[in-house]
Parts: sequence; C-alpha cells; structure tokens
Amino acid sequence: MREETRREAVWQFLTYAFILLGAILTLVPLYWIFVASTLKESQFLSSTSPRLAPGDSFFANFQSLQARENVQFVGHVGEMTHYIDLGPFYIAYDFWNLWNMGAIESSIFVAGVYTLLSLLLCSMAGFAFAKYEFRFKKPIFYAILATLILPIQLLVIPLFLLMSQLGLTNNYWAIILPWAANPLGIFLMRQNMRSIPDALLESARMDGATEFQLFYKIALPTMKSSLAALSIILFLFQWNLFLFPLVILDQGKYTIPVAINQLVGAQRVYYDQIMVAATLSIIPIFILFLFLQKQFVSGILAGSVKE
Amino acid sequence: MATRDSLSGTEPSFRDRVRFARQSVGERLPTPGEGIVGYLFLLPAFLLFGIFLAFPIVYTFYLSFFRFEGVGNDTLLWIDTGFFSYRLTSIADLRFIGLENYIAMFSDTLFHQALFNTTFILVVQVPLMVALALLFAVALDASFVRLRGVFRTVLALPVSANLVAYSTVFLLMMQDAGLINYVLTSIGLPAIPWLTSSFWSRMTIVGAVTWRWTGYNMIILLAGLQNIPQQLYEAAEIDGATRIQKFRYVTVPQLRPVLLFVFVTSTIGTFKLFSEPVIINGGGAPLDSTITIVQYIYQTAFIDFRLGYASALTYVLIGVVSVLSAIQLNVGGESDA
Amino acid sequence: MSGITLDTVRKEFGSGEEAVLAVEDVDLEIEDGEFLVLVGPSGCGKTTTLRCIAGLEDVTSGRILFGDRDVTEFRARERDVAMVFQNYALYPHMDVRDNIGFGLKLSTQQSAAEIDQQVEDVAAMLGISDLLDDKPKELSGGQQQRVALGRAIVRDPAAFLMDEPLSNLDAKLRSQMRTELQTLQHDLDVTTVYVTHDQTEAMAMGDRIAVMNDGRLQQVGTAEEVYRSPVNEFVADFIGSPSINVFDATVDGSRLDGPGGFTYHLSDASPVEGLDTVRVGIRPEDITLVDDGIPMVANVLEPMGNENFLYTTLGDHDITARIDPTKRPQPDETVEFAFEESALYLFDPDTGDALKTKDDGEIPDRGADTNARSSETDEALEEAVE
Repeated sequence: MREETRREAVWQFLTYAFILLGAILTLVPLYWIFVASTLKESQFLSSTSPRLAPGDSFFANFQSLQARENVQFVGHVGEMTHYIDLGPFYIAYDFWNLWNMGAIESSIFVAGVYTLLSLLLCSMAGFAFAKYEFRFKKPIFYAILATLILPIQLLVIPLFLLMSQLGLTNNYWAIILPWAANPLGIFLMRQNMRSIPDALLESARMDGATEFQLFYKIALPTMKSSLAALSIILFLFQWNLFLFPLVILDQGKYTIPVAINQLVGAQRVYYDQIMVAATLSIIPIFILFLFLQKQFVSGILAGSVKE
Repeated sequence: MATRDSLSGTEPSFRDRVRFARQSVGERLPTPGEGIVGYLFLLPAFLLFGIFLAFPIVYTFYLSFFRFEGVGNDTLLWIDTGFFSYRLTSIADLRFIGLENYIAMFSDTLFHQALFNTTFILVVQVPLMVALALLFAVALDASFVRLRGVFRTVLALPVSANLVAYSTVFLLMMQDAGLINYVLTSIGLPAIPWLTSSFWSRMTIVGAVTWRWTGYNMIILLAGLQNIPQQLYEAAEIDGATRIQKFRYVTVPQLRPVLLFVFVTSTIGTFKLFSEPVIINGGGAPLDSTITIVQYIYQTAFIDFRLGYASALTYVLIGVVSVLSAIQLNVGGESDA
Repeated sequence: MSGITLDTVRKEFGSGEEAVLAVEDVDLEIEDGEFLVLVGPSGCGKTTTLRCIAGLEDVTSGRILFGDRDVTEFRARERDVAMVFQNYALYPHMDVRDNIGFGLKLSTQQSAAEIDQQVEDVAAMLGISDLLDDKPKELSGGQQQRVALGRAIVRDPAAFLMDEPLSNLDAKLRSQMRTELQTLQHDLDVTTVYVTHDQTEAMAMGDRIAVMNDGRLQQVGTAEEVYRSPVNEFVADFIGSPSINVFDATVDGSRLDGPGGFTYHLSDASPVEGLDTVRVGIRPEDITLVDDGIPMVANVLEPMGNENFLYTTLGDHDITARIDPTKRPQPDETVEFAFEESALYLFDPDTGDALKTKDDGEIPDRGADTNARSSETDEALEEAVE
C-alpha cells in the first residue's frame, strides 16, 4: 500500500536525521578543540562571534605552552653528562639524558610499558586459569573478579601510602605496577584461552614441549586478535589515568592528564595552551583509532563479554 | 668425526647446537607437577595483584580506624643485603580512634553534598545515556549498510579522547560566552549559566559524560542487537507485531543481559567521576555543587591530609557501590560472570 | 481458509549486474485445504517462494492472491498466515503458553481468558499441555517443534506455511511427526504450503507436489503423476530413491544402442522419430536379473534385508538396480538384466523433456489381478515411494 511505503520513508528519514544529529554533536567538541588551539584566547572567548575557522596562532600557543615552568609538555633535547674518561677522548654513556621527556613522551612511555607488561602478566594468568587445575583456583579467580566491581579510584589512598613507604613516589613504576595484573585483562584472557583445544596442548606435550613453550608457541599465537583487543583496552586505560598519577607524580614526570590539569589554575584558566595540549594529545590517538577501528571495536566488545 | 645425528650427515649449525643445549638443560630440570605449573604462570600476576590490589583494600579498612596524616620518617623495616638496601617507612602520627571516623561522616555536610551530587548525576546521566545509546544502536542496526561503519566510528570517537583534555573543552564550550551559549542565543533561546548555576553545572557534567560514553555503550548494544536472530522478528511479524511491538517484545527482552551490563558498568563509572568535576569545578563552578564523592575523598586525603577519615569514606563508598551493583544484578535477573 | 494463487511471481535479489534471480515466473494454484509440498534441491527457490507467499519478501513482479484477495502489496502481518520455521523461532524469554498465545494477543481483541482457553485446547491437541509453563530452552527438539506448530494452529490462519520444519529432528522423530502433521492438516483442513528438500518426505505427505529447480517450477502433480510421468529428466531424477539410471543412446530406426553393448528394440518408435540420440531412463526398481539379457559388471552389493541394491557398470556408465534378495552377485561378476518397455523412460537429449514415460495407464488394483507384470510394477511403486 502506498501509505505503507510513505510511512516507511518517513521512518527512514527520521532515522537518518537522528544519526546525523548524533554524529554532528559528537564531532563538534572535537572540532572545537582543534580550532581553539589555533586561535588566540581573546578570539574564542567572546560570544559575539566564536570563529569556526581555524586561525594561525597554533605555534604561538604552543610556544607559550612550552615556556611554562611547571609543565613540560613536549620534551626537548638534553645533554649527556656522564662520561668515561679515557684520556685523549671520552665516551658518553648516559643516552637516556639525550631527551628530556615531556608529558607526551611520559604518557606514551608509561602506557606502552604498562601495556606490554600487563599483556604478559594477564595472558600468563589467563592461561593458568584456563588450562590448569590447582587448588584454590576457584577462590582466587573469584577474588580477582570481585575487584572488577571496584572503582579503582578508591584504592588511591592505600596505594599512595604503600608507594610512599616503599619509596616509589614520583616514579613511573608506581603507576605501572599496581594495575599490571588487570582483573579485566585476566578475565578476558581466560575466556579466550578456554577455546584453545586441549588436544593441541596435549599433543605438544607428547612431542616434548615444556609448559612454557606451550604458552609461548601455541597459546599466544592463537590469541593474537584477543591480545590486540586487550592491548587497546589496556593502553587506553593507562593513557587516561588521572587521579592516581596526580597524587603520585611530581613535576618532571607528569603524564598528559596531570600536565593539562596544571593549566587549569584557580585564578586563571590558560585556555589557549590547554587547547594546544589537548589537540596534541588527542590527535595521535584519533589517527590510531581511525586506522585500527576494527580492533578498537573488538576491544570494546571484548570488555563486555558476558557468560 | 662422529656427529650427534648421523641422519643429516652435516655438521649441526650453531642454532641447532643452541637448541641441543637447551634441550639437555630442560631434560635435567625436575618436571613440575600439573598444579605447580599453574601456580607458576599465575605467580607474577598474583603477586602484583596481591600487593597492589588486594592488600590495599584490606589496608584501607584497617586504616579507617585510625587518624594519621601521611608518611613519616621512622623506619619500620630495613633490608640490607649489601647489594641494595631497602627501607620501609612508617606512617606518621598513627593514632587509633576506633569508629570516630565513621561517626564523623554523619555530620559531615560536605560529604552529604558530595553524595547528593553524585547521586543526582547518576540518576540523570545513566538512564539518559543508556536510552540514547540504545536509540542510536537501533538506528544503526536498521540496515543502512555502508554508512553504518562510518557512523559507528564517528560516534565512538569520544572514548579515545583524553579524559582531562575533553573536560577542558567542555569547560571552554560551556562558558557564559562560549560556543554553546552562542548557538542557543542565535536560535533565540536564552543563554544558560552553565558554569555558574549549581543545577546547570551538574548538567554540564551530565552532558560531558554522556558525550563521552554514549558511543562506547552504543557499540556494545549494537553488538547485542546484531545477535538477535532475524527469525524472531519474522515470527513476530507473522504473529502480527508492529514495529514498536517488535521492539518491546523481541528487542528489549533479548537485549536484557547486555542492557544490564551497560547499566551496571555505567553506574560504577559514575561513582568514579573525578576528572570532569575537577576540571569543571576548578574552572569556576559554583562552590561544591559538582563535587563528586571521589573528588571529595581526594580533597580530604591529599589536601586536608586527613587520611584516616578518607579511608573510612573510601570504605563506605566501596560498600555503596557493591550494594548498588548487587541490587542491579538481582533486579536484572542475571548473575555476573 | 482459502486457496492461494501465484501469478507469474518473480523474485530478484540485488539489482543491475549483481541481480540474482531466485524465483522465475512461477504460476501455481493451490486449492483451499490442500497440502502442497514445494520440493527441490538446495537453492532452487522453494524457500524464497514460500517467503514471498508469507510476505516476508516482496516480489519483484507478479501477483499473489489469497482466494480473491490480491495480497501482493500486503505486509506479512496483514496476510493472516502462520509460519513454522526450520529452527522453530520460539521467543526464548516467554514460556510456552505466551509463545503460543502471542499472535492472538497481538492481532485479535480476545480477552486474556479466551486466549488462554484456546492455547490450552491447542496444547491438548498436540500433547504438550504439561509444558505450558516451561521456557523453550528447557524443551527437546520435538517438543519445540510442537510448540511452533501450536503457535501456528491457534491463530486459525488462512494458510499454514512450513519451512522444512522436520529437518532438525532425528530420523525416528521425523517420520513420527510426518504422520502426525498429515493427520493434523487433514483434521484442520487448512491450506498448507510445505517446503522440503527431501523427496521422500514430499512424496509421502503432499496432496500434490510442486518440483522446483533453479528458480523455475518444473512440475506440479500428485505423487504418482510426478513419479510415473515426470515432465523432464530433472524431475525423473529428483523423484525416486535410488535415482533413476539415465544414459545416452543412439537411435537407429527403432533400435537404441547404448554403453556397454546395450541394445534395445522399441516396439513403438514414435517418441524417438527424427532424433539421432536420446536419453534413456530406467528406474532401479524396474531392473530384473535374467539369464539372457543385457550384460553388465557387478561392483558392489548392498543387502537391504527385503531386497538388495546392486551397483554395476554398463560399459562406462554406472547402473543401480534393486533386485531380489536371494540373488547375490559377486564383485566383477557379469550379470544380465532386462526390463519392461512400459517402464522405460525416454528424454530429449537437448531439452531434457520427457518423450516417453511409464505408461501402463491406470494403477492396477491390488490383489485382484492375474497380470504378473502389473503387480510387479505395483510393488516397485510401493517401494519407490518409501
């Protein structure tokens, strides 16, 4: 009936409009970050005409960002100061001083190391839970699961104390270690490893492989896509950590969230610098996201696996 | 020359010799029993988990009965092996005060305010976001093929934006003279005091969090939708169901576990809110109208240095979240994991 | 309750260059109350045709009529049909009672009590009364089947549409349900269109069978018609188990020469007039082993109890025969066979159309005959239909 198809068309139009609206609303703030980073503060704080087109003050803003004393956003080249004196010449060996890390490098470093470490630990633990039997397996697993419900922010106080007592304050390891055994990661790895056929492992055992070889040569390669999805979850998790690094880290070792927070002063918010910083920290991830869409989505979905 | 393997007839290569060496070492090691291997694999993760996740939970509970202000200089424990030395310092001014911390909570108005704020945001934001995510998921599911991937990506982008960064953008946009008000005034609506009114500043946070997480939850719901067998819809069609009836009798019941998951995780997420209120509050939001619980705990612990009290607060929060999750799971009728 | 007419129904998927023609110009008239089986190999378009009748697919061109009503433009929910799906499609979150009553709840104004009553009546009819409060996942396949059936029956629709409903059941349950379905349909007297790929099922169940291949309707007729007088080689091959033996033969007047020294003289050469070659068809059940017939080499013998299946080679061609259980040729033994000319099929080598089919006229009465030949073909027919 023609009336029916008319109604269908209306539904379709509404649906499209709805989705489009959502897409626009989603993109506006992102676009705005970019635009604002290229404008002088005065230009985008007035209500008479917020510009929508990008300006040209990006580098100016960037420089004022870098000029700040308490925050170092992007690192700069440093100097090697440790030498071995061999008489006629000397050899410098402290390569780590070549580059003073700024906030961006810190974040990348911390997130990267964390992801690798956590991947290893979680996959080992997941493998243990999936393929081995041992006493207390169930209770330990449930204990780990129970922590999933906890908001992690709540552990900040005891962790801070612990880190202080261990002398780990202002140290990257203080942020990397606590969640290296990520309960979500362990859960996911266990779920996925369960699907490895036992027969495969047993035949490898009969061929004389050690248990670790089973893990390294059979389990891990099979889990490649799960590992990819998990690494995205882990990376994003660490990248976005704010509360705990805020507490633990001091100047010189800030990660991006903490660094940006410094720019939100009590008296004055340095918008132009913030926007530059925001742009710099968001854009790389976006590009990553665009290229790795599929993995991102499967990462999100992996985190929602239900039994 | 007698070689190890007379079959190949050639000299074993370097790599082969390394392998042989590894094998002979492996042969000499004792074969661990099944149970032990499992433990071994678990060990590193378990160690870290125990020290940094499990222990702190207990530690917090213990500390909530005390009053103290930080780490002191006295040494609790000293390990010196010649290679390295290790010092475990004590906690400063540790004083046992029993349940005093918990009692103090009842008269702490700021705490109550924080509770109220968090609850307010929870009640408004979570249903709003889940409903939006569901609508978007249903819209995207309706077979517009090529564009679906594009829209899905776009709507999910906000999740990858840096937490603090995006909070600052919202701070910027919500200024009295900012972008949002500009749009409103140009349509003819009055400008809204987003950051200066206590009600509206909370709505700002609601808006920011919704913007960030709707796409993420939409992806999860979309996957759930696509798992619903097409034939169920066909059977419903034949039974006489209209579009809305299909949604009510097929889609929603089938989505129940996924919806529940999204609800629970969003609720837990709301209790974790810290970055957004900090930035937006720090940017001049009216006093205390947007303080969330975690923010308050942070303030108590690291600005006021009342760590014992903060520990007690933490424990109460843990309790609240657990109870809420348990209620939701029971009502939802499914058991988690 | 009405008949169904398909008028030049055509269904294309996709468009332009990638269009796939699933159903091509199907004309079909189904009588009111008839049990029509749509049968054919996978991908022949039978399920698509069924879905077009249901309204789950729009036809690209053509019309569909229920009685006098043109329902072509109607949505599925406006056509008053009920469908039983291959995997039952029961609503997992509703119990059996709600599953069955769902259609009534949505499309009628009946009160809850009335619906309940009807649901219970139908449940009693199908023997599932004690399952009414269970959820689908607690039921066995056969029980779920019945619930799906109940859901369809309770709506008292203009037509039942069934899409291979028995193929997910184990063999024993399947034959049991087959007879139940037939009885049910007969009692309820509702027009039924039943899709299956199993020709045995088709032969056993339908009032009439519609054979489809490659989107086209090949033949519509009763089981006997389709078996005895297939309209082309495809239908002859599809119906009957084991399949008919077909091979090429050259025509020389009234003599046919085939592989392996096969020679046959036709008494009536009119079907092959003007042709150089022809396709010869002989059903396995029409082959008898004799002492002075056409020679072929035995390969494999399968004892079936009441008969034996013999697989042989005639020249370069494989022949299957159903023979007396007492005869047990050894592998590589040469045996000789013969058949009645009336049981011979001849097909056009280019078009596949049937030139000659089994033509003993009417089916002879059982028991009251002295003609040995008739009772032989009679038996063969009975066995072939199994």
